[in-house]
Amino acid sequence: MNTQALVDDITQTSAMVAEKVQRSLVIVQGRRFGAGAGIIWRKDGIILTNNHVVNSHHPRVILADRGEYDAKIMGRDPGIDLALLKIEADDLPVARIADSHNLSIGQMVLAVGHPWGQPGYVTVGMLSSKSELRLRHPNRVLSIIRTDAALAPGNSGGPLVNAAGEVIGINTMIIGGDQGVAIPIHVAEGFVDEILGKR
Amino acid sequence: MKKENENNPLMALSEAMAEAVATAGRSTVLVNARRRFPASGVSFAPDLVLTADHVIEREDDITVGMPDGKELSASLAGRDPGCDLAVLRLSQPLATPAEPVSVEGRVGQLAIALGRPTPEGIQASLGIISAIGGPVRTGRGGLLERYLTTDATPYPGFSGGPLIDAGGRILGINTSGLARGTSLAIPASLAWQTGEMLVKHGHIRRGYLGIRSQPVELPTVAQKALGRQQLTGLLLVGIEEDSPAAAGGLMIGDILVGLAGEPIADPDELLTKLTGDLVGNSTQVEVLRGGQPLCVSVIVGDRK
Repeated sequence: MNTQALVDDITQTSAMVAEKVQRSLVIVQGRRFGAGAGIIWRKDGIILTNNHVVNSHHPRVILADRGEYDAKIMGRDPGIDLALLKIEADDLPVARIADSHNLSIGQMVLAVGHPWGQPGYVTVGMLSSKSELRLRHPNRVLSIIRTDAALAPGNSGGPLVNAAGEVIGINTMIIGGDQGVAIPIHVAEGFVDEILGKR
Repeated sequence: MKKENENNPLMALSEAMAEAVATAGRSTVLVNARRRFPASGVSFAPDLVLTADHVIEREDDITVGMPDGKELSASLAGRDPGCDLAVLRLSQPLATPAEPVSVEGRVGQLAIALGRPTPEGIQASLGIISAIGGPVRTGRGGLLERYLTTDATPYPGFSGGPLIDAGGRILGINTSGLARGTSLAIPASLAWQTGEMLVKHGHIRRGYLGIRSQPVELPTVAQKALGRQQLTGLLLVGIEEDSPAAAGGLMIGDILVGLAGEPIADPDELLTKLTGDLVGNSTQVEVLRGGQPLCVSVIVGDRK
């Protein structure tokens, strides 16, 4: 393949991947100021987001098609900063989930969210590191992944995806300080399964 | 779903990037030679590691963390504070030597910064080569012939680690110690050359002549007398007593135009040239004296 064709191909594919991810991305309004992001976990209205984004008892969810819903909080875990919401909707485009057990440092990642209120904003980078974080309350060890893709307030709760557009983590600004930190999606899956009563 | 990904060029690029990180990661080590945060290093021989000089805060009790998690003790083989490079010798020859690029980096090409500041594994950030600069005098009294800058995030502890290309080859050694905190990379060819010199001598030999000079334009007649086009030379305005220049017979008023067979047009060129094997040996200094070219033998002094 010649270079120009390759570059065109890569450009088109990244645009396609970004669009696909944006379809299952939602805005979560939980606080009086600002908003966070979330992903559609199940087509019947299950939404995964950050706990700190849902800082109210009556969060609202705005879909990519601008539809607005009141959401019910199904469960939350401040320790890993995740929350699960439910809206009354059906046939929603579900986010595709990757296996985050097998991540490689250096693989390409895209972060999608609403930094500073810009909806559906996409940034690119690579998977920078995997590490373990010791939490005090409650006392446990949390796996985290870091990226050099630019993140800002509003990316919280949004997806970190691989080059195929599959979610590998949930961006969580609150833990990492100025560095981009995400909770690996397999940790989030455990959280969701606990609430929905699987396993 | 599999089929879709097979034809996804973004996936191919992503896998190539991860592969490059894995390849160069096998030669990227943890360097533990300062209090608090460890830094990184790059092995260039089974028992030798290149790192940044400024991360070596103690000369004893240095340890190196290998990619497989093993910890080895190491000794300081040599250091060059001027260009912020140092070489460590491992107690056992267990390192995988890195492969430097054979073609110099180009502005705009993909570049990945690597580091291993924790035992938790390799760390990486993505960018491109933003600029190639030099020669520049470093804040530490050295002269860097060339340097690379990149927009890849320099995470804490990345100093001494490699900047690599998409094939996992080493473009340069990252350091934030040369330009007041901003991160730049010393090109691999320069770093490898310095590394070998440090292994041989323990320090970088910098020569001196004992002159004070200022750049002057060469008039056309002078260039004609030289037999080449050279726009500037160095007018000698001072000769130190008992210096190599005095011993060799250089005089105030001479215009220095060449050294060891190569033209010298400005002070930085002279500084770059006065290193390595030239130091301590007799070499030809080409000057214009009274408008006529003249070669003078000078034994280049060793500036300690």
